[in-house]
Amino acid sequence: MPAVLLAVLISLPFWTPSRYWVSVAIQALILAVFAMSLDLLLGFGGMPSFGHAAFYGMGAYACGKLFPQLTGAGLLAFLVAGMAAGVIAALPIGALAVRARGIYFLMLTLAFAQMVWGLAFQWTSFTGGTEGMSGIPQAVPDWLQEQGQNLWPALRTAGPFYVVALTVAVLAFAGLTAITRSPFGRALEGIRENEGRMRALGYPTYRYRLAAFVIAAAFAGLAGATTALYNGYANPSQLYWHTSGLVLIAVIVGGTRSLLGAVLGAFFVTIVQLVISSYTEHWQLLLGAVFIAVVLFLPGGFISLGRLGWLKR
Amino acid sequence: MRLEAQEISVRFGALAALASVSLDVQSGERRALIGPNGAGKTTLFNVIAGELRPAAGSVLLDGRDVTSLPTWRRARLSLGRTFQRSALFPRLSVGENLELAVRRGALVGRRRAVPERLEAAGLSAVAERPASSLGHGEQRALEIELALACEPRLLLLDEPMAGLSGAERQAALERLRNLPRSVTLVIVEHDIDAVFAIAERITVLDHGVKIADGTPAEVRADPRVQEVYLGRP
Ligand SMILES: Nc1ncnc2c1ncn2[C@@H]1O[C@H](COP(=O)(O)OP(=O)(O)OP(=O)(O)O)[C@@H](O)[C@H]1O
Ligand SMILES: [Mg+2]
Repeated sequence: MPAVLLAVLISLPFWTPSRYWVSVAIQALILAVFAMSLDLLLGFGGMPSFGHAAFYGMGAYACGKLFPQLTGAGLLAFLVAGMAAGVIAALPIGALAVRARGIYFLMLTLAFAQMVWGLAFQWTSFTGGTEGMSGIPQAVPDWLQEQGQNLWPALRTAGPFYVVALTVAVLAFAGLTAITRSPFGRALEGIRENEGRMRALGYPTYRYRLAAFVIAAAFAGLAGATTALYNGYANPSQLYWHTSGLVLIAVIVGGTRSLLGAVLGAFFVTIVQLVISSYTEHWQLLLGAVFIAVVLFLPGGFISLGRLGWLKR
Repeated sequence: MRLEAQEISVRFGALAALASVSLDVQSGERRALIGPNGAGKTTLFNVIAGELRPAAGSVLLDGRDVTSLPTWRRARLSLGRTFQRSALFPRLSVGENLELAVRRGALVGRRRAVPERLEAAGLSAVAERPASSLGHGEQRALEIELALACEPRLLLLDEPMAGLSGAERQAALERLRNLPRSVTLVIVEHDIDAVFAIAERITVLDHGVKIADGTPAEVRADPRVQEVYLGRP
């Protein structure tokens, strides 16, 4: 299944009817990275964060703030800066939020994220206030810019960055897959299933939960940096609770406890948000209806439709 | 490992769940802790394991005061426990459950011990199934094996036989009796035959107070024990 998906995504610029679809795919891939990072917390760690946009936004703002210095250093510098920003914000927030469980954790993460949003919104001199920061370069490496145009002449503007977004998503998928399958990931699942037992077995569960929170924030920061590069701006909406809610919906609709489920959910949400919205203003209604239907009738998300075997895990 | 619980007191609001209870268990000893429902047996286990901070008193493992250590640190000092209500990882497979236990909080190594553990618990056939799908008897076997897989030197067993059939009870008893003397055992059990089959000394709690402490013969002969516990059908 991941292989099929990857083949579709690699070949997409060759058969897609217009560059519009490439831009949809780029945004879906970015949301996919963001959603996978949340799934590490929600699906594997059992920690329902409603404030994950804080770290996504931090990644974007890091690029906005640092692009005069980073432009010379290239793409990788921006992505690393985004991840670092996510980590820096997640350490103090996580140290407090991870002490709470369930609905309290959810409310705490929401509150912290809204504080970050408030800061970005009001500290105009540092963050650009409502406007945010713009003019961030795409930072596509020169060789890719040239090769990309040779490979996909029909897609001059969207093409090269598509390669960046797809590479980031594939690496994030590989990295998070390795983490979830490692002893650390297994321990995280153990904590989700029964934290008291894990303590009794000798696991310092607070540290594990905090580590998961910080790792998830790093990948959210990576997604935020990618979106800042693609769109050229960082603004408060990237930090707003709407963004946290949207990625939460993506993970739940696609299927928690499965990174692939998060990817599917991200594509679904992006298509509804970008494509359906051009036909009807009621796209949020559709998204809400699908969300409710999944929660009620398909608690495992879209990915659970593949119980037939080959789609699973 | 020697266990000393010294003058432990625990309050839940107005209720004195434990009132200055002391317990001294020698290294390698088999001790039973009995008493009627609500006597405070599980509460005492929670204090020893580190899940509950006592209002007064201290817990010593091999003479070291661990009263302020968190649960996971005590576990790493080789304190293992089972829970009265099975505390498994329901959606993980039986093998994955044991894998978490054999790692004992570490992130490296030791995974090779899992097949032996499955074998010892008689769970090899269900290794791939989620723990939640096991029958009660198998869940209890896994519950005990999770604690044993950590190779504890002090093992607290909270009603390990509860709800087991006669044959399962016999198997569990055999497993416990075959434990090496390097393991100190404290067992809470309502099945009085099992208690007398295992225990070398018995401590009796009632309403948070220790009312007797001695050899099985002494405890059996104690009039107060007969009154509050053994005498009742
Ligand atoms: N977390 C808690 N909050 C309030 N009261 C509690 C709590 N835990 C236990 N208790 C009370 O403390 C008393 C002792 O409970 P405990 O579970 O230790 O008894 P027990 O000896 O293990 O009984 P049983 O044989 O039924 O398992 C009981 O009256 C119980 O209701
Ligand atoms: Mg009890």
